[in-house]
Amino acid sequence: MTPKVPGFGRYAEPSLLILVSLADGPKHGYAIMTDVEAETGRPMGAGTLYAALSRLEESGLIEPLAPVDRRRPYRLTGVGAAMLAEQLRGLSAFAQQGLRQLGEPQP
Amino acid sequence: MRRHLIRLYPAVWRERYGDEFEAVLDERPIGPFDVADIVLGAIDARLRLRGRRAITTTGRGTSMSLRIGGIAAIAAGAVWGFALVASAGLLPWVVAEDDQRVQFAILAVGTLALLVALTGLSAFQSREHPRLIWAAFALPAVGTVVSLVGLIGMALLNDAPLVAGVSSWYLFSFGLMAAVVGSGLFAIASYRTGALSRRGSTLLAVGSLFFLPTFITSENQGAPSSIMVVITVVGFSLGWIVLGASALRDVQPATAPRPA
Repeated sequence: MTPKVPGFGRYAEPSLLILVSLADGPKHGYAIMTDVEAETGRPMGAGTLYAALSRLEESGLIEPLAPVDRRRPYRLTGVGAAMLAEQLRGLSAFAQQGLRQLGEPQP
Repeated sequence: MRRHLIRLYPAVWRERYGDEFEAVLDERPIGPFDVADIVLGAIDARLRLRGRRAITTTGRGTSMSLRIGGIAAIAAGAVWGFALVASAGLLPWVVAEDDQRVQFAILAVGTLALLVALTGLSAFQSREHPRLIWAAFALPAVGTVVSLVGLIGMALLNDAPLVAGVSSWYLFSFGLMAAVVGSGLFAIASYRTGALSRRGSTLLAVGSLFFLPTFITSENQGAPSSIMVVITVVGFSLGWIVLGASALRDVQPATAPRPA
């Protein structure tokens, strides 16, 4: 199971990473990029970032705030937070199942 | 170089995201990975926004259906709670038993609010579980419309036959039963999706279960037992109110505005 937002095609995984990044408060585009890169250790390009941001905004999972200079912060909506929690619970159940099958001790 | 890359995106996209995208690109040097990523992003935007004159958000529509559905659910719960208590003869000083116009008006407002609530909340929940939700929506929606026709018929024609020899009262009763059974199904479907309050779904399911015996008893034997009225009022009315409140809570942002 790959962590992703359902229905977002190849931008599903970056979209979930963006939602996680916004879970602790609003951030603008560059702050999201650096946050995701720090968490995953993989670069996130600006093209991917904005392809995912526009889908998330259209779906009502995030919403834009007033821009500060040219930087526009985004924040999670209530619907987005509910969807993120549901996805993370699914991932957690999947990870625990995997650990059980491996015979590894579970957290 | 940055300007040329941004120009790869369609005009409607640049109009909405151009400035902030440029600000992100200004933050650090652009390498071959970034160029390839931006080219792919621009192709994606051109394919996705083909034929669009402006970027609109369906999220706004989702929030609107959630807000309208939430407000209507709270109104429906409150009005039906009042109507159930009044029909049990517990509010004679507010609604006189022989004042049918007031009773019809209360029931019509409650039924209309129920229909709006069902539509709004179903539209929101159907994004994730379309088949389950629309199947659960169909019965109560038809029920509310039929009961509204029955109510209007009762107000205009009293007990005279309305459609195919069926009186307005029977039409209203049939519609109401369909709406209540349907509300129970809607509650079960909502519980399964987990998009709205599961506590509200449980209350509504229990209230719907007790609604029909309470209604039938009040029609055939006069006043139903007070415990049945209490369970019906608390379950059915509070169920809709809790579901509505949870919908309105979902419209609110998840976090306080705290730009990074």
